[in-house]
Amino acid sequence: MSTTETANHVVENTVPVPDPEVLKSWLRDMLQIREFEVRSMQAYQNKLAGGFLHVYNGQEAVAVGCIAAMRHTDPVITAYRDHGHALARGLDPKIGFAELFGRIDGCAKGKGGSMHFFDRNNSMFGGHGIVGAQCPLGTGLAFATKYTEEVIKGGTSESVTACFLGDGALNQGSVHEAMNLAVIFNLPIVFCVENNRYAMGTAVGRCTASGNQITNRAVAFGMEARSIGGMDVIEVYREMKEIVDQVRATSKPYFVDIDTYRFKGHSMSDPRKYRTHEEEQEFEADDPIEKLTRYLLAQKAMTEEELKSLSKQVRLEIREAVNWARQSPVPDISELHHDVYADTWGDYTGTSLPGYMNPATDEDAATGEASNGS
Amino acid sequence: MAREIEFREALREAMSEEMRADPRVYLIGEEVADYNGAYKVSKGMLEEFGPRRIIDTPISESGFAGLGIGSTMLGLRPIVEFMSWSFSLVAADQILNNAPKMLYMSGGQFGCPIVFRGNDGAGGQLGSTHSWCVESLYANVPGLKMIIPSNPHDAKGLLKSAIRDDNPVFCLESERLLSVKGDVPEGDYVVPIGEAVIHREGTDCTLVGFGRTVYFCEQAADELAREGISCEILDMRSIRPLDLDAIIRSVKKTNYCVVVDQSWSFASIGSEVAAEVHAACFDDLDNHVHRVHNDDVPAPYSHDLEQEMLPNARKICEAVRSVTYNA
Amino acid sequence: MPIDITMPRLSDTMETGTIVKWHVAAGDAVSAGDVIADVETDKATMEMQCYDDGTMVSIVVNEGSPVEVGTVVAVMAEEDEDIGDATPKPAAPATVPAPSQEPDPAAPAVEPDVIEAGGEDVASKPVDSVPADPPLTMRGHVRISPVARRIADEHGVDLASLAGSGPMGRIVKRDVLAAVGITKETAAAVPPGAGLSPASPASPSISNLPTTPVDSSSTSMPVKASDIPTPSGYGLQPWSEPLSGMRQTIARRLVESKTSIPHYQVSMVFDMDPMVQMRTQLNEQLAKHEVKLSMNDLVVRCCALAMYTNPLMNASWGGDCINYHGDVNVGVAISLPPERGGGLVVATIRNADRKSLRVINQESKELSKKARTKGLTIDEMADSTFTVSNLGMFGIDNFTAIINPPNSAILAVGAVQQKPVVRNGEVVVGHEMTATLSNDHRVVDGATAARYLSSLKELIENPGMALV
Repeated sequence: MSTTETANHVVENTVPVPDPEVLKSWLRDMLQIREFEVRSMQAYQNKLAGGFLHVYNGQEAVAVGCIAAMRHTDPVITAYRDHGHALARGLDPKIGFAELFGRIDGCAKGKGGSMHFFDRNNSMFGGHGIVGAQCPLGTGLAFATKYTEEVIKGGTSESVTACFLGDGALNQGSVHEAMNLAVIFNLPIVFCVENNRYAMGTAVGRCTASGNQITNRAVAFGMEARSIGGMDVIEVYREMKEIVDQVRATSKPYFVDIDTYRFKGHSMSDPRKYRTHEEEQEFEADDPIEKLTRYLLAQKAMTEEELKSLSKQVRLEIREAVNWARQSPVPDISELHHDVYADTWGDYTGTSLPGYMNPATDEDAATGEASNGS
Repeated sequence: MAREIEFREALREAMSEEMRADPRVYLIGEEVADYNGAYKVSKGMLEEFGPRRIIDTPISESGFAGLGIGSTMLGLRPIVEFMSWSFSLVAADQILNNAPKMLYMSGGQFGCPIVFRGNDGAGGQLGSTHSWCVESLYANVPGLKMIIPSNPHDAKGLLKSAIRDDNPVFCLESERLLSVKGDVPEGDYVVPIGEAVIHREGTDCTLVGFGRTVYFCEQAADELAREGISCEILDMRSIRPLDLDAIIRSVKKTNYCVVVDQSWSFASIGSEVAAEVHAACFDDLDNHVHRVHNDDVPAPYSHDLEQEMLPNARKICEAVRSVTYNA
Repeated sequence: MPIDITMPRLSDTMETGTIVKWHVAAGDAVSAGDVIADVETDKATMEMQCYDDGTMVSIVVNEGSPVEVGTVVAVMAEEDEDIGDATPKPAAPATVPAPSQEPDPAAPAVEPDVIEAGGEDVASKPVDSVPADPPLTMRGHVRISPVARRIADEHGVDLASLAGSGPMGRIVKRDVLAAVGITKETAAAVPPGAGLSPASPASPSISNLPTTPVDSSSTSMPVKASDIPTPSGYGLQPWSEPLSGMRQTIARRLVESKTSIPHYQVSMVFDMDPMVQMRTQLNEQLAKHEVKLSMNDLVVRCCALAMYTNPLMNASWGGDCINYHGDVNVGVAISLPPERGGGLVVATIRNADRKSLRVINQESKELSKKARTKGLTIDEMADSTFTVSNLGMFGIDNFTAIINPPNSAILAVGAVQQKPVVRNGEVVVGHEMTATLSNDHRVVDGATAARYLSSLKELIENPGMALV
């Protein structure tokens, strides 16, 4: 159906469009992410959440589409704008809010915050705070799956790592080092560049050489690459499915430039003076959630009533998640010295998994179904 | 059965034995495989373990350090060799931001069982950029452990402990010590991380050193013995965790303490030990703790200048005489 | 108007106080409520507060000198006062025991360069009327290393009497050790020492004397004729002997003991025939092991055992409580030879109730020898719960001893003497010994003491019981 221009040639995509039920689950996932981010912003302004808050509004199709193209055991790692990926991976929103609010029931027991959504059960290897630093880690994840599957288990490599990064990270040395290592070690990794056109407040063209065609960076490393649209979750999925399957088969890295747009500012304190209101309106008209909704309605896969009901359901779920997280206790002060070292040593008092990962101690959290992703 | 082998062989034995025992362990770094190690520490390991486990990297410290750290999140236990710790500075974000904090910022979900090792400190006329003593810089960071062995026995035992440790361990070796020989038991044994050892007993003044400075302390102690001052040399072996109890025991016995640290003095391991000793031994001190460090200058190239910069025996002797009121 | 700061009354019974530490020096600004000094009263060390805002003009009474309550100890100027006008009164503090003419006994011992340094400091301040060269301690701070302060405290050494050999006159460990007579070899836990360090400035002043006089205390040791200085002319030469640290300690502690502890004595005469007989027998049998038990060893053993049956004796006054000790540690008074400056120390035989005679004999011999040659370590002198002082070897038949705080009793043992005694209604020749127990009445009542002596008598007169 769609054709995608890669760095060198035009490829016909043969991945079929998934069933309406799958598409509806994606819509639900995207609605959940959007509602999560809206309530996060509200919580931030109410001082329930502190620190930095980087919301994902507008980019939902990227996380949902990419992750839908992967297996649940395939590692995912990203930078600090990480709520969408964690939710798409299956993190329960109430665990996410608890983390945002700095509560003990958060995915990092309130020690990570917005930028560090980790979820081992869902192969979510974090949110990482330093721009580009997740890329060497991502190559490490790909190295580890390959090493485990081939060297330790003696089989063939079959996992694929998705390493998300922003366009702003492209100018970090560590990203280039990671790409080089991925190529020379033949690592099964996809570098998913969420090209939202701004490195914080600096337009790609102002800070990135050959910024109009960032796949050139990959070509220089001899890495396959393509540019895809990021506002249509079906497109993202179909392209990524093809890429991920190829990487799984070849164990060679891939670079994908995903064209998307960040509806909100870089962070909550961003007045967005570097771009025009008109530009924002233009992209908001291309909202990935509305786009999928229109598609489903047009295909008669969903009625207006179903849509309303779904929206309401998600809003309720998120409201309950916020209320649940507000009830979660702040960490005991002893947690301050917990998890510094993996073993008991000195003043530090060992480590344990977050409550929600331990069914024996937190039944409520454990039974909260992973209603999205996969 | 102990036999005499070189420091570098002791390191190699530690790595090889642990790699035989645990397939999750691999060695990665510049020139560790084909070249047999820039300092021949990994000599022969490629032959035994093959290129999947002894892995040459590009000159790309941030990349391969980060790769190693990432791989721990899926349970591997890498040994990352820095040809020199001087080169680790370009990987500072990975080794200081990611490795030691992963467990904490993931709320206990992901630890980081990794060993970073390589040469640290002045080699021999290598100039400013290649003579880094990173211990004081890096030891500042919670979440990591740091070992600095001074002899082949400890090198093997400590490195084996490090490889088995579930935390990131920084192992700082000295190019000047790699050829030093010493008795090393064959086969498996460990030296626990966090235990100092009395290297030489004495009564009049405690010398606290680690790594190469233990040798400077020995030279100084020999000279001071001729003057009738009996020095006790304590080899810290581990910087984090620091075996403060051992230091305190010795200082309570001698009432005097000189810390010998090959990094710069400002906000250093030496100043940390001094502060702790002042706090713990306040009523047992007859003088404030004296410190001997590298001079507060970039490492010079010229041989004579470099020797003068080091925390050498002459400076230690002067400090001991001064601290014991025998100056 | 300059304001006189006087020694405050800090307890209901306080009559004199000693400033142990000045927190301010001349020229310092002070505010009402500031703690300007620590004062040692009869009960505790208390804080001395300042009640006005202003500037310290001079310190009149130095650290370490006890003065009566009300004595001017310092002078300050009021807030807006030109401190040049605040002339301190002529320094004539009512120092309690005026040991010498010098206002500060430490001053002469301070090294000259230190005095100069002090002078410069003061000269730089606009205080014309202050004496030009106040000694170091007048600046409100004793320079002393922490371990030296700890050892000095443990031995009750008066810091003011010490001259520091460290930088800027800092009193360091070797200075205190020299003052208490501990040398490097003996001070296992606290050395470097004699070999490494110059002798304390205090010692040369003693060794400068042509000869060392015999200690005249009641515990003096046997003196050979050759030890006695031969006067160059007829009659005795008068001289003044500066106090050693040990002599100061003895003086201070025994005055404190004798004046603060309500002493009383109980005496008892012991039939020593069985013990003399047993000792002779034992020593004959032990001769091949070169062991020779002294009468004192036997007495120490019996004292310890008697303590075991009279635990109320094994106690110390604790101010608001009485502390009963778990171990029976018997202190043995040992007099030191003149060449070590005379004086006496009390060596501790720990857990004497659980040690055999042979061990007691050996320890006692070793401690005594060490005390007289190298000197004892702090550990070897610490923690006694009872003391035995024996002057029997000098032929003293009976005396009373002063309690060695924090003990609450001391046994003064006289000589074993042949006497006509009554046995079975007949006068025969027998051995007798008189021992006098001094007690702290706050802790031990007369009956308790009497019961203790009875237990002791039973043991001594049936010495087989002391063997097992």
